[in-house]
Amino acid sequence: MNTTTVLLIIHGLLAVALLGAITHQAVSIWAPARKPAGASFIARARSVPGTTYGDAVVVLYLLTFVFGGIIYADYRIEVRTVVEQLGLWSQNGAFELKEHFAAVGLGLLPVYWYYWRQPLAPEHARTRAGLTTMLAFIVWWNFLVGHVLNNIRGFGS
Amino acid sequence: MTPSSRFPVFAIVFGIVFAVVYVIAVEKNFALFTYHPAIGAFGAGVQEGKDGPAMYWYGWLATSGIIAVVAGALASFLPASVTRALKPGWTWVVGAIVMAVFVWLLRNFFLR
Repeated sequence: MNTTTVLLIIHGLLAVALLGAITHQAVSIWAPARKPAGASFIARARSVPGTTYGDAVVVLYLLTFVFGGIIYADYRIEVRTVVEQLGLWSQNGAFELKEHFAAVGLGLLPVYWYYWRQPLAPEHARTRAGLTTMLAFIVWWNFLVGHVLNNIRGFGS
Repeated sequence: MTPSSRFPVFAIVFGIVFAVVYVIAVEKNFALFTYHPAIGAFGAGVQEGKDGPAMYWYGWLATSGIIAVVAGALASFLPASVTRALKPGWTWVVGAIVMAVFVWLLRNFFLR
């Protein structure tokens, strides 16, 4: 197993943790539990307080971004070349969007972190909702696109 | 950690400027530096690929990051009477617009 593969696996594991954190927070905003959590998985997921995820999302986003940035150079040589040769233009375009969406999300982190600090200011609830939804979309897009590209030419190929 | 009272102004301006400058940097290729992955070397500014493709993404991030930090820092020293008009919600709205612009710019990948 080479260094890039190890870094890719770490990048993927960090992305899974980030996906969980931002999804929990988004669910707590858009579908909060109105009464004490029931026994179901969905009810418990909805009852999670979104406030507890702000710092974790920022740290995980930064770490995932850094590891992604490190392996991006190998992707450019080893994967994108093959994707182009195979004529997989939609997949290539989806990855181009991934890199740009990730950059946009990076720029939102300071303001996201500030408005998710405790105690939460009630007048900024819409700001938190907008920022969390944006980051959730970016994280989900990037996770799925990365997964698809890894399936095309990933581990051991 | 308790941030300075100027931090929200910095963060709002940073978020908006970063997104706007980033899309301009990508479209006009204002990369602060170029990375040549085939030989593992960096070069100042925008360069042609050496022994392989050239990567500008890191350079676009650097260009946007530096300009956004400077803009945010300058804005944080403006009087409160001026910065009061800044709304934090503008950050994600501008971010969403920039993402839509990228979808438009890259549409040919999906229309082939």
